[in-house]
Amino acid sequence: MRDEWLEDFKEQCKRNLRRSVEDRMRYGFNYVYKPVLDDADWRSFDSMEEYRRWCRENLPEYLGYGELSDLQRQVLNET
Amino acid sequence: MRRETFSPLQAQQVADAFAKHGVDYMFIGKSGAILLGYPGTTQDVVVFPRKDVENGKRIVAALLDLGFSIRGDLEADILRGKDFVQIKNGPFDVDLVFAPDGIEHYDQAKARIDLSSGFPVANIADIIESKRAAGRPRDAIELPQLRAFQKDYEQRD
Repeated sequence: MRDEWLEDFKEQCKRNLRRSVEDRMRYGFNYVYKPVLDDADWRSFDSMEEYRRWCRENLPEYLGYGELSDLQRQVLNET
Repeated sequence: MRRETFSPLQAQQVADAFAKHGVDYMFIGKSGAILLGYPGTTQDVVVFPRKDVENGKRIVAALLDLGFSIRGDLEADILRGKDFVQIKNGPFDVDLVFAPDGIEHYDQAKARIDLSSGFPVANIADIIESKRAAGRPRDAIELPQLRAFQKDYEQRD
């Protein structure tokens, strides 16, 4: 994250921490339709790995459930 | 299916119904972080329940109260404590994660539970670890922000 973005984000954190829990919910929970993922009444998996595999094989890549790029893997390892 | 209605206070509704039925659980995932004050957004409530049949029965009763349709195989999977159960047939989306990535035992997470918001929420460190262990592109985007939030959260007044 760029330094100026980090500073802006940290200000957001401070503002949100001052909010009531009810306001955190009002700002934090919102609905955005996700194709495929939202198109079933329910689904279940015997393991989280099975769930991740289903996501990789069935969901549009832009939803962010697919394979990690090298850069994303690096971010995960460094975080 | 696209939703016609949506309530942002869904975590409160889950907490009330789960308390009424005595469900042993904690919020986890981004929904848990939001309750702690993380300035992100999500559409679903993610719950980490204790995995046992009696707790499963209490979860079913609570979800029925909330207006979910819990029958047949879905009910059986909840009672079994299948690792991940995703339910979208009620007033909002609920994910039941009986075995979240990166967390070994429910009791260990329960010992670190965060009640400061008035809700049972997994410790921010456990939320972050479960996202890191899940290892998806969406987690790689979110993790640096969650880490930045964790610093402010742990230094708050």
